[in-house]
Amino acid sequence: MPERIAVRCSDPVVRGTLEQWLIEGRLQPPRPLTLDVRVEPLLPGDQPDPRPIFRQPDLTIRSGGADGRVTIVWDRCPAEADLLPGSRVAAVRLSPEAVRCLDDCLRQFMITTLIFLLRRVGWHHVHGGIAVDPLGRGWLLAGNSGMGKSTTVALLAARGWSVGTDDIAFLAGGSDPVAAYSFHSPIALRPGGEALLRRGSGRPLPDRGKVGYWPEDLGSRWCPRIEPQILIFPSVGEGRTEVSAVRPAQAVAELVRWSAWVTLEPTLAQDHLDLLTRLAAQARAYRIRLGPDLFQDPDLAARLIP
Amino acid sequence: MTTWYRRHPDLRLTALEGEGVVLQLGSRRYFTVNEVGVDILEALREPRTLDQLVSEIMHHYAVGEERAAKSVRNFLERCAGTALVLAEER
Repeated sequence: MPERIAVRCSDPVVRGTLEQWLIEGRLQPPRPLTLDVRVEPLLPGDQPDPRPIFRQPDLTIRSGGADGRVTIVWDRCPAEADLLPGSRVAAVRLSPEAVRCLDDCLRQFMITTLIFLLRRVGWHHVHGGIAVDPLGRGWLLAGNSGMGKSTTVALLAARGWSVGTDDIAFLAGGSDPVAAYSFHSPIALRPGGEALLRRGSGRPLPDRGKVGYWPEDLGSRWCPRIEPQILIFPSVGEGRTEVSAVRPAQAVAELVRWSAWVTLEPTLAQDHLDLLTRLAAQARAYRIRLGPDLFQDPDLAARLIP
Repeated sequence: MTTWYRRHPDLRLTALEGEGVVLQLGSRRYFTVNEVGVDILEALREPRTLDQLVSEIMHHYAVGEERAAKSVRNFLERCAGTALVLAEER
């Protein structure tokens, strides 16, 4: 199958690294996309940019100008991406400093650029984990870092569930049921989560202070796509694991909360919101407060969700 | 002079099972609203006066004018504070 996300770059090392990253990510968007990358020194702009700023860790994102362009700036090393509405090409400029820390650049800057590029073909990012339970039901676990998604996904993988991603999921709909697609990357566990997993086969991710596990390392199969039937909004607690149902509109609000980009780019915001609404109508939603008992008995999650 | 209300152009709305979720793109905030709120915001796709909104709510929910007016006023006040609705004197 031809690659659906092409890389144009005259620097062979950068091009090869990006292509390998995309191959590992295994995304197959519905229409071709292009990362058009130039490596060059980046100088500060001489014109002030009046567009409102949206900040994320290590990123400054501007949108809302006359042409609707989105500009993503990596704060750690000079790197910048521009995406125009309707265009399926991201114009990316990487400084030599950014190229010297290309792994971090991929994880922090390029993945965000890819997220905005995929919006242009109707794929909308949500911070979510993807899993399929033994009954074949698709689960989407939505929430921020530190809410137990990665540990839960890893534990479920170790119990034989198919899993897709612990954080980078893309929702897409069209006229069909809403689907969630996985970006194939290691499940990244903090030391506490790794201890709960009781496996020593992870690979260190030193810059993140975490250990990474591919789903296959945990005896699982990678799941590229689900049609979510169960929506989970997890949090971590001290007591017993508790589950409570969430009303559909509240589920939409929770999904909005974990879809950081939904309020950017006015021309796409309603599509994104409609997609979240269709997802909330299609799936049953629950809040789960994850207690230590779940980590002793990972099958508890499936027993608590009828 | 009459006050005309309309939705802020930065507003995006969705509704599900009698409740709504509203995005304000400018402030990047989101809100949940009840069924009456959804109906008012749907009506405000086109400019409306307070009396028109009250009439629509009375008709839809079969409630008295006083109760409908109180609901609409309260909702519009909350919306004005969050830039969901614009008011214009004509």
